[in-house]
Amino acid sequence: MKHIVKIMAVVVAISASWLGLLQTSIVSQDYTWLLPIYFIVSLGCYGLLMVGIGLMQFPTCPQEALLLQQVLYLRFFCNLLLYIILAEDILEAKDFLKPRGVDVGSD
Amino acid sequence: MLQSAKSNKRTMESADRAVGFLLSLLSLSIFSYYTFWVIALPLFYTDHFVHKYFLPREYAILIPVFAGVALICFLCMFIGYVMLKSKKKKA
Repeated sequence: MKHIVKIMAVVVAISASWLGLLQTSIVSQDYTWLLPIYFIVSLGCYGLLMVGIGLMQFPTCPQEALLLQQVLYLRFFCNLLLYIILAEDILEAKDFLKPRGVDVGSD
Repeated sequence: MLQSAKSNKRTMESADRAVGFLLSLLSLSIFSYYTFWVIALPLFYTDHFVHKYFLPREYAILIPVFAGVALICFLCMFIGYVMLKSKKKKA
């Protein structure tokens, strides 16, 4: 709630300053009309620039990505092995329990 | 497998850096073009040759507004698509 109030206060202050600039015409009125859009576009550009600079500077944690990849391979392989080993037992258990009315899974 | 993973890592890193470089170059060029268009161009005489490199100034408002609206539409469509997909998976 406090964050929203702070943000609203900033927005009101900026629009009040823009309206004041419009009325007293310190800079010419043509510029003042375009000022909000100019700031929004430059903010977007600044965000893109930060993203580009971040991509260039910091390597995207290649060791961690590598380890994660290996861990995922390992887990997939273990699941596959377990499935192959236990498939017969699973089928047996299902055929045993289903006539007795036990809920035997969702696939 | 480790050898190919290591060379993959290096090409991934250089690809990332190339994308970052292109992105920052694009943002800087957009910013400088837009700044020149909005702020510097009205200060030149109307028959100066540099005016023919820039579109008429109404487009300086239309193009960002259009791009913003397109971005919001794309975001809404993406969110709707993801929501539909998750609902279908649940049902």
